[in-house]
Amino acid sequence: MSLIEIKDVYYAYNEQNKAIDGVSFDIKQGDYVTIIGHNGSGKSTLAKLIAGLLPVKSGSITVGGLEVNEDNIAAIRTRLGIVFQNPDNQFIGSTVKDDIAFGLENRQIPSEQMEGIIREYSEKVGLSDYLEYEPQNLSGGQKQRVAIAGILAMKPDILIFDEATSMLDPKGKKEIKKLMYDLAAGDDITIISITHDIEEVLQSDDCVVLNKGKLFMHDKPEKVFADAEKLRKIDLDVPFVEQIREAFAKRKIKLKNDDLKGMVEQLCRYRSNH
Amino acid sequence: MPISFKSLSYIYNKGMPYAHKALDDINLDIKEGVITAIIGETGSGKSTLVEHLNALLLPDEGSLEILDYNIVAGQKQKFLKPLRKDVGLVFQFSEYQLFEETVLKDVAFGPLNFGVFPDEALKMAAEALKLVNIDESYFDVSPLELSGGQKRRVAIAGIIACDPKIIVLDEPTAGLDPHGSKEIIDLFISLNKRLHKTIIIVSHDNEMVYNYCDETVVLSHGKIRYHGSTFELFSNKELLKEYNLLEPQIVTFRNLLQDNGFKLSDEARTLDSITEEIGRQLK
Amino acid sequence: MNNLVFGKYIPIDSPMHRLDPRAKLIGLFLMIAAVFVPKSWWVFLVIAILLTIALASAKIGIRMIVQSFKPMLMMMLFLLIINSLTVKTGEPLFAIGTFTIYHDAIFNTLFVIVRLLLMISITTLLTATTNPLDLTLGIEWLLKPLEVIHFPSHEVAMMVSIALRFIPTIIEETIRIMNAQKSRGVDFENGKLSQKIAAILSLIVPLFSVAFERAYELADAMEARGYVPGAKRTRYHVLKFKFTDYLFIFICGLVLAFSIASRSFL
Repeated sequence: MSLIEIKDVYYAYNEQNKAIDGVSFDIKQGDYVTIIGHNGSGKSTLAKLIAGLLPVKSGSITVGGLEVNEDNIAAIRTRLGIVFQNPDNQFIGSTVKDDIAFGLENRQIPSEQMEGIIREYSEKVGLSDYLEYEPQNLSGGQKQRVAIAGILAMKPDILIFDEATSMLDPKGKKEIKKLMYDLAAGDDITIISITHDIEEVLQSDDCVVLNKGKLFMHDKPEKVFADAEKLRKIDLDVPFVEQIREAFAKRKIKLKNDDLKGMVEQLCRYRSNH
Repeated sequence: MPISFKSLSYIYNKGMPYAHKALDDINLDIKEGVITAIIGETGSGKSTLVEHLNALLLPDEGSLEILDYNIVAGQKQKFLKPLRKDVGLVFQFSEYQLFEETVLKDVAFGPLNFGVFPDEALKMAAEALKLVNIDESYFDVSPLELSGGQKRRVAIAGIIACDPKIIVLDEPTAGLDPHGSKEIIDLFISLNKRLHKTIIIVSHDNEMVYNYCDETVVLSHGKIRYHGSTFELFSNKELLKEYNLLEPQIVTFRNLLQDNGFKLSDEARTLDSITEEIGRQLK
Repeated sequence: MNNLVFGKYIPIDSPMHRLDPRAKLIGLFLMIAAVFVPKSWWVFLVIAILLTIALASAKIGIRMIVQSFKPMLMMMLFLLIINSLTVKTGEPLFAIGTFTIYHDAIFNTLFVIVRLLLMISITTLLTATTNPLDLTLGIEWLLKPLEVIHFPSHEVAMMVSIALRFIPTIIEETIRIMNAQKSRGVDFENGKLSQKIAAILSLIVPLFSVAFERAYELADAMEARGYVPGAKRTRYHVLKFKFTDYLFIFICGLVLAFSIASRSFL
């Protein structure tokens, strides 16, 4: 049985257009799944539906066998955390340590235990020297790391990243992606990441493509990116190696899909063969 | 030179114990009719530099010539309005400046402030909206009902409508999806090529800077480290290392090809021109 | 905005900073009562001496106290003028032209002014030495008894602490939107009334729409992290009364007692 099962889900903010229009797919335990699609394709709505922040209009979502609904949401939230896009709008405490404590307070963790937990998880995200810092003195990347620490402190096994790196500078993006890859490396944590970052998608186990609220593709990232035309049709970026392959194909030089180094090696072989 | 910084310095919290020199003896000439990128890490002084272009900040030392205006440290400025009309500044997440009831009215807001008569202002607004590809059917819609990418384009139209000679864009593609970003990039290229506007872009996106900007300025700790051809900067490994810059994908590809004995001229800067030259060598 | 001293927290360490916020709040109420009760200048002198010691131990300079008086200066001057014109009791002191100024007019007003100055100093002592978040916790504790009549003291405290957390963010945003509109030719300082209204709208409307967006996202983030309004929560910051806190409240109580007693013997 899959950890998360999404079955024929519909959601609409208003009557004219359906934000999520009959989407079904499964997510296996321990997988790193990326969800891509242009803005307005329904990615964030889907994340909110899985996290129970919006109720499905029809269809069902189950997490670990429990249906996401009002009765089960408290239980589901104990194992699911979500990191949002805007670093400022999820910083609730007035300092780093207060923000990490926020979730622990909600979970009614005894206050004597909090200090140790805060120290452990701030260290995990590399912010143990910043515990007293206020949000306005932190960079965007640091704020996102605080958000991640606050969520990890509640020991979830499902993490949702809703464009968590899109508002960060290159340094912040790199920091957060490194953290995500480290978390994904273990078997126990399932990661669902909504992203525009092709490099990140290529790191994931599975890729879901949404378009206009519908499931457009669901496959291994390499397979998804192999069909450049299909991606362009729905306004998505094509990986650089795929662009190279196309550019040479136009000049009647056929290359196989590979990473950048592999592409250049193929060109070298082509040169010595001719 | 339309813009010329002369030994300009700016200090935040001047006279306080935590004073901080955000710009330190800047000497910089920006060429007319060119797309210039300003890059550097967060906190390097990019935004401070840009806010000087519109006299939102005034220099503490040195001076700044923009078009026919001369801003000198310590002197009172009298020509704020005409300067701000001639230099259009598009802020980061510019969609947050929209406030009027309709898209058309919001775009006309700038021209009206600069003393254009209402009829004329609406005409200028309609033209600017056409330029940014916003369909006429949206003119009477509330800006709040648009998508993120559309809002951003309406905000940029609000600046274009003032008919500035210089347009400065701070992180114009931040937070947009690839398609939305492409629309903004196409827009500033057409402003530059077709309407011959001088464009300055502040960005973290080295791929975009490499692909579309003629010149690049590298700022770090309030000082200018590099100003010159974008290609020469990004194709120079030592410079990239020195300034801690990410190498654009095309440059990585170019370098790999050259390391493997392929010959590439300096003109082969885009994927298309690179494949063209390689293709010739393989035939 | 940075010049505002009244209510500003000074983040340093001092014996006053280390006191429990609840002790400081109780102390504040006791001392303000002590300032209101007496009729004698002697009591003011005693309070002023104690206050000076407290201010010194909190490392608050005279300059900051004087600055905190500034906003009240006009009011005090106004009070003095009105009283000089209306109060006709006590010895005549001196005359300005045909107008006589009486003893009570001057001294009664000075008495009120000193009372006000003492109150301001006491409040400044509290706000300068207490982190706003701790202050919120203290207020929440004081409001706790009201939960009997279903007053949501915890929710109110949560709202206040979130508001405090977002003040710097909102100031930053205000500056950014003002700059953006200035670039579109808005003049926030000069102009006709109609232009001023347009200028303010161009700031307020975006500010509100951003604030609403923030509020929605913040609510989602709080809910996702298991916050349920009204549900039981533990607290990371647990306030604990120490010996010094009891001592502090005791001293403040003593001052109030002295002040009340002084009405019969001074």
